[in-house]
Amino acid sequence: MLAQQIANGIVLGSIYALSALGFTLVFGAARIVNFAYGEILMIGAFFTVALMGALDIDFFVALPVAMVGVAALSAVLFYVALRPVMKSSHTSLQAELQIILVTLGLLYLLREAAVLIWGTAPRPIEMGVDGIVEIGDVVMTTKRLVVVAVMGVLVLGLYLLLYRTRIGKALRAIAQNREGAAAIGLDADRIIAFVFAISGAMACAAGSLLGTLYAVEPAMGGPPLLKAFVIVIFGGLGSVPGAIVGGLAIGLIETLAGAYVSFAFKDVFAFLALIAVLLLRPAGLFGRPAS
Amino acid sequence: MTRPALLLLPVLAALFAAPSLLGDYQTYLLTLTLIWAILAMSMGLVLGFVGQINLGQAAFVAIAAYLSSILRLRYGFGFWSAAPIALAAVVLSAAAVGLLTLRLRGPFFVLVMLAFAEVVRLVIANWQDMTNGPLGLRGIQPPEPLLGLRFDSKAGFYYLVLAVLVLSSLALMRLVRSRTGRMLVAVREDEILAEFVGIPVMRQKVTGLCIGASVAGLGGLLLGPFLTVLAPNQFSLFASVDMIVMVVVGGIGTLIGPALGAVFLIYGPELLSFTSQYRPAMMGLLLILVTIFAPRGILGLIQDTGGLARRRSRPAGEPHGSGR
Repeated sequence: MLAQQIANGIVLGSIYALSALGFTLVFGAARIVNFAYGEILMIGAFFTVALMGALDIDFFVALPVAMVGVAALSAVLFYVALRPVMKSSHTSLQAELQIILVTLGLLYLLREAAVLIWGTAPRPIEMGVDGIVEIGDVVMTTKRLVVVAVMGVLVLGLYLLLYRTRIGKALRAIAQNREGAAAIGLDADRIIAFVFAISGAMACAAGSLLGTLYAVEPAMGGPPLLKAFVIVIFGGLGSVPGAIVGGLAIGLIETLAGAYVSFAFKDVFAFLALIAVLLLRPAGLFGRPAS
Repeated sequence: MTRPALLLLPVLAALFAAPSLLGDYQTYLLTLTLIWAILAMSMGLVLGFVGQINLGQAAFVAIAAYLSSILRLRYGFGFWSAAPIALAAVVLSAAAVGLLTLRLRGPFFVLVMLAFAEVVRLVIANWQDMTNGPLGLRGIQPPEPLLGLRFDSKAGFYYLVLAVLVLSSLALMRLVRSRTGRMLVAVREDEILAEFVGIPVMRQKVTGLCIGASVAGLGGLLLGPFLTVLAPNQFSLFASVDMIVMVVVGGIGTLIGPALGAVFLIYGPELLSFTSQYRPAMMGLLLILVTIFAPRGILGLIQDTGGLARRRSRPAGEPHGSGR
């Protein structure tokens, strides 16, 4: 029973971690709290569904194509809506407020666009993977194991990108010190646009995987966005390991508290854990203390 | 009395005469607008004067609305005895969250307030025995008569809402001109400098948040009897965002602005009978366009076109760096 719950928690946590990664990347590189992130995730899931339907292709073929599409969309949104306010802002409150307002505006727009284009009815995504796997007492559908595996592959890919490529190095430089990076000739706008693209691709993967477990609908972006908030504060804003550990921790807390304490209040426990972390370690588990 | 206040007198007279001139439906619509104006004003204080982006303001509205209605429906309280208890609960919870979150800088406050609001909403949605869960509380009656005034008609309730709006805006106007208000602006502009000159920064910010929350609570008290139904999804993130949109569209850093924003965003669309289908998309587009092209909102546009002479002497409450 306990082993089964832990396994369920890890599956849930993997999806949470994947959802939080794209969010934390953008915050780390550009100090942008992207409220439209959940909607990008939702649009990504719809892209995958639409591609599978239109071209009659397999989930694992459609997903990479959709990820590229959402990456492009995400970068375009940065150039069209966010770059203008990042340029014109002076004081920090004003800048912070304007960026949050624009991403909130995008949240409304993207959700309504999805409602207009695809309607509100939930749609399933067929992964085409059936059957169950038994390991000792733990029973799990193969689908859920695939979700964990995909998350593993994407995290590895992200790690290689960040630490083994030139653009990854540039990206980390921007995250550490934007003025300094600009002084040595890095084009901050292009790198932030690239981060938005990566973030969009991760969101698309997370949304599509969520869709295979539940369903795809315009309102599906809300809960993952809120979870991403909790996870990144829990793990440390802008920290990639923090998002992974935070995601797994929140997944486990919710599953275990839901099983052993109270199912109705399972979502509340994650928030209580968050408040506890803030009291003890305000910068998050993996965060550097704020300057 | 200052000039803007004088300009408001005809508006007030029109608002006072409205129910006898307009029909029941228009009175209903005006009441809705005024309640939103109260909520927008509370957000205007937090956003424009405390300088915090509060995505959890709807939680304070929810606490006041639900607590007062539960006391009335389940424990036999009257509206007027339940109201102070509910407001006290709002102020206490605002102080508690404020003490926990306001010491955090930057996006932490935004995210933690959002988390707090989500906890409140989840508790309301899941505490079935007390709140009736997602189905909502039903059959909330108008407030009982007080001092010979009755509130069970559309017009009667309208005047109650109008009175709350006028009194709370007068109180807030006094507040922002007071010592506390000037200290709040100082803290908003430069926290470190404010601390250096001896302003108790933390206490000022928590006080500001509590005052904002209590005004939001006043709106919440009125919401139950007005709608007769309360459900948890009325108090999601989007309720707080709606308030922010009103503040930004109306003019941030002012007190009249948010009320104008409420008129523009609630009364306007209803009057033109926009289908509610496109309202969220409209809100989103408006938010982006106003932020990029008119960061000082409607009031800013009015000042730019009409009162060029007045541009030199901007109100003290206006955020630094917004007048470009």
